[in-house]
Order: sequence, then C-alpha cells, then structure tokens
Amino acid sequence: MLTFALDTSTQSPSLAVTRADRLVGELWLGPNPGAGRRVLEGAHHLLAASGIDLDELERIVVGIGPGGFTGLRIGLATAAALGQALGCPVVGASSLEALAAGIAESVHAGAVVVPAHDARRGELFTAAYDVASDGSLSERIAPLAISAADLADRLASVLGAGTVVVAAGSGALVGRDTLRAAGITIPSEAAAAHRLRAAALVARVDAGAGVAPIPVYARLPDAEVNRLRAMGASA
Amino acid sequence: MIDGPFLAIETSCDETAAAVIDARTVCASVIASQAQLHTPYGGVVPEVAARHHLGTVNVVIAQALADAGLGLRDMQAIAVTQRPGLIGALLVGVSTAKALAYATRRPLICVDHLLGHVCASWLEPIALDPPFVSLIASGGHTRLDLVYDLARPSTLGQTIDDAAGEALDKGARLLGLGYPGGPALELLARGGDAGAHRFPIALGGKRTRDFSFAGVKTALLYVVRDEGELTPGRRADLAASYQEAIVTPLAARLLDAAREHRVPAVALGGGVAANGRLRELVRAGAAHAGLRVAMPERELCTDNAAMIGAAAQFTEPVPWPDYLAMDAMPSAPPGGIAV
Ligand SMILES: [Zn+2]
Repeated sequence: MLTFALDTSTQSPSLAVTRADRLVGELWLGPNPGAGRRVLEGAHHLLAASGIDLDELERIVVGIGPGGFTGLRIGLATAAALGQALGCPVVGASSLEALAAGIAESVHAGAVVVPAHDARRGELFTAAYDVASDGSLSERIAPLAISAADLADRLASVLGAGTVVVAAGSGALVGRDTLRAAGITIPSEAAAAHRLRAAALVARVDAGAGVAPIPVYARLPDAEVNRLRAMGASA
Repeated sequence: MIDGPFLAIETSCDETAAAVIDARTVCASVIASQAQLHTPYGGVVPEVAARHHLGTVNVVIAQALADAGLGLRDMQAIAVTQRPGLIGALLVGVSTAKALAYATRRPLICVDHLLGHVCASWLEPIALDPPFVSLIASGGHTRLDLVYDLARPSTLGQTIDDAAGEALDKGARLLGLGYPGGPALELLARGGDAGAHRFPIALGGKRTRDFSFAGVKTALLYVVRDEGELTPGRRADLAASYQEAIVTPLAARLLDAAREHRVPAVALGGGVAANGRLRELVRAGAAHAGLRVAMPERELCTDNAAMIGAAAQFTEPVPWPDYLAMDAMPSAPPGGIAV
C-alpha cells in the first residue's frame, strides 16, 4: 500500500513515502521554530523526488503526538485534509512509539526504551516501553509531560534494579545530565535513535498499533489548568 | 473572479465554518459555533479554540459540500481566512485549505477576515454594490470603511481602544451576565430605560470617525461599584443606557460618513451588527437621510465562511502549487485590511 507518512510533533518534522514495507523516500525539515508550517512544501518535494504522483497515494499515516500543540495540529490538519481530498484513509500512530521503535533497534530484549521530546517549561513529553525478544513494544508508562528528575524517579519506582533503560529524543538530550545521573543510557547526540522517523509510524500501524488521527496533547490548556485551580481553591 | 463553485473556510476565532459559493450565490454555509465551550472561561481561550477547530473543520466542510450537492473535485478553488485572528485557530484552517487545494490541484485564495465582513452584503440576496460605507463591529474589531472598490476599501475610522463587542461583553459581565454577554445584555436592555443613566459618549466631536469604548466601560464599573446591590429594574435601566452609549456613536458615525462622502448606501457587519438597537438606529437614520441599508441576517453578520467566499472574489488567487509556503498571520496589516 502506497503510504505518505508525516510527523510534526517535534521541532524537526519527518516525512516518508513507503510502499508495502519498503521505504520509497524520506526527509526531515530543519529544526527551526515553526518548521511544521513547511510540512506541505516538504511533502510536495518528497513526492516529486520519489517519483510519486499525489493521486497514487492510498493511505496517510500521521503522528498524533504528544508534542508541540501548534506543530502537532498542523500535521494532523494537513493529514486529515489530504485524506479528505484524496478519498483515502488517515490513520494515526503514537509519535512516542515511533521514536521508541527507533531506540529499540539498538537494545537487547528486556531493556526499557524511553522516547522523550522536549516539551519546554522544564518538562519532557515521554513514555516508557518494554522491548520483547521479537522487538515488539509494550507500554510501561503512558505518554505524559514530566520533568527529567520526576521521570528518573518514576522509572526507578516501576522498574526492577538492573533494568537497562535507554532514553533518546530531543527531551532526552535536554535532560541528559539528570537522566544519566540516574543510570539511564543516552546515546551520543549524533545517534539516529534521537530522530523520529515518519516511516516508523507506518511500521507501527502495520504492526496493528494504528489509532484514530486525534492528537494526544498530554497537557491541558493553561486556561483550563487555571480554572481547575480556581475551582479547587474555592471548593 | 473564480469560474464555478468554490469552497471557503473560516477558523479565525471561535466559529468553525465552511461555505460553497458560486459568484454571488451562497450554495451552502455551515457554522459550528464553539461559544458555549468558552463560557466557563469568560472569553475565548485560544488553545481551546484551536483544539476544537481541528477535526471539526473537516466535518463542517463535508457538510457544506453535501448541502450544496457537490464534491470536493467540483470546487474550482479553495479560499481561507489567512488573517487576522488567533494564530493557532487560523493555522488549522490554513493547513486544511492548503492541503485540500494541493491535493485537488486547485488555486488557493488567502482572504483577510475583515474584507470578508465588508463583502458579506455583496452576496445574494442583498447584492449590494459599491459605493457604500461599511461599519464592522464585533468582539475583536470596530471600524468604518469607505468602499468604492471591494478589493480596496479605505479606512475612515477605527476604535482606539476596546472593540464595541468587547465593551458590550465587559458591560454584561459587570451587570452579572455570563459570557458571551452581548446578546444577554441586549435582552436585559429591552426591559430598561435607555435614558435612565447618562454615560459619556467618547470622541463626540463631529469630525471624528474613530471610536472609543474604554471610558463607557469604566463609567459603568464606577456606577456598579457605587450603587452596590442593584434592583432588577435598575439593572435593566443600566443595561439599556450602557448599550445606548455604545451603539449610538456606531450608528451616528456610519450615517455621518455616508452623508459626507455622498454614497447612497451603508452596510453593517460583525457580531454587534446583529444588535437590535443598533439596527433600529441605523434603519431610522438611513430612512431619514434616504440611504439604502444593507443588513445581512445574523448568520452572515457573525463570523461565517460565506463572507470569506465573497471576499475571495476580490482577492488574487495563488495558482497551484505556489502557495505551499503560505502561512497564517495573527495581525492585521497597517491600515487594517490586507488587499
Ligand atoms: Zn469577525
């Protein structure tokens, strides 16, 4: 199935075209603020370079986050509209699972992988997955926004001593000192494990992990946080 | 001018809207209002608005196409509100419109929201042609424009502080009404005496076409604070007097401008244009002065996509695929309307 995949949950959006389980082409947009706004431009160039005509696409796969709110929405809105116009299905996949799948390629079974995007405000968008002997992932900690220190505590409390934990992604790099001090392995900055690949989203969907293309924000709007706080204070 | 039916999308604030337009005909217009969603916060929350536009916009577009009995491939262009508005909200519409236009290989038309309000009366059944003076009054904008060419309205005046709708909402809150407060204030005012309290009318000089509403709002704040517990009758009187102080300069400056520039018509747009008292004042003044009045029905005054489709026909389309890098913009350009 000829699939166009995109993920705009990170500063460096990723695009891919796949046919069956083969990669036709992929590209990343440079990590500039607002890079998500160039995702359609990137799609046009990727399709042209891959020799694919837009009308040939049979499926759109999109990363549902968590990640930067605005960037995430641009990706999801773009995916939904492409699907609506082309009359093809739009399937979501967890952006953190896609990143985790990349990290899992370089670890042994029994390890725990921790994908982490930089969520600003001193927090990471993160989750944790067990890696089985067949390389499959199972969720250990559901996606959330949390500080590096709290993540380290959380992992220590749910994992047995001696568990190999590997974290990667922009959030792991931002929080690397704290995470390494807690015994968590972080690959070197140049390692491919830090980059989310849109093609990994397609692999997740084909492995049965596809979900509705609805964003996972992992954070409430500030106004809602303030409103709940005010209600709590007056209760 | 676009040959044949086309799609228009509007997501600049708290209405998710899509319309199918063919020349001056509105083939379909669908609006999903989020107003109730923002009530607990006492105003539009940008992040909440943006979250709601996503997903809703595709449903609204599908409904507009179904209502028009047409498919996306029948659309000859895609028009979308590009500015001004809440950036996160605008980006949902712009990203959607760009991808729809790209995938159907159609031109994209990036429309100024305010030009949309100015052009709303150009649509059937009102079908107003220039020249006219346009008043746009809403929660975000208050402005007067002289329109000889719908592609290039020229600014006569703007608010120097609050927008008229914002002033009505704030007044409603001071009188203990919920958000959105404009319609609730109007309802309360119906049972009151507009002459009961004299609120100041700012910039009352004959020459100005600008507006100011911050002083009226402050005056109401003092009255409410000084009088303490208000009887129901007094609340209604204050609502009526306050509303009068806001709509009177809107009507008066619109009609004065039309007389000064010797145009035969005036047009209303924006959410406040749905206010019954404003309509009454404009209608009476226009009848007296022999002016034609274009007052779209409520759904065409408040934010909608049909007006974006109207304005699209006075905006240069961008051919496929030159618009891929086009972006939403939160602010209005200098002068207030992008042309
Ligand atoms: Zn408006």
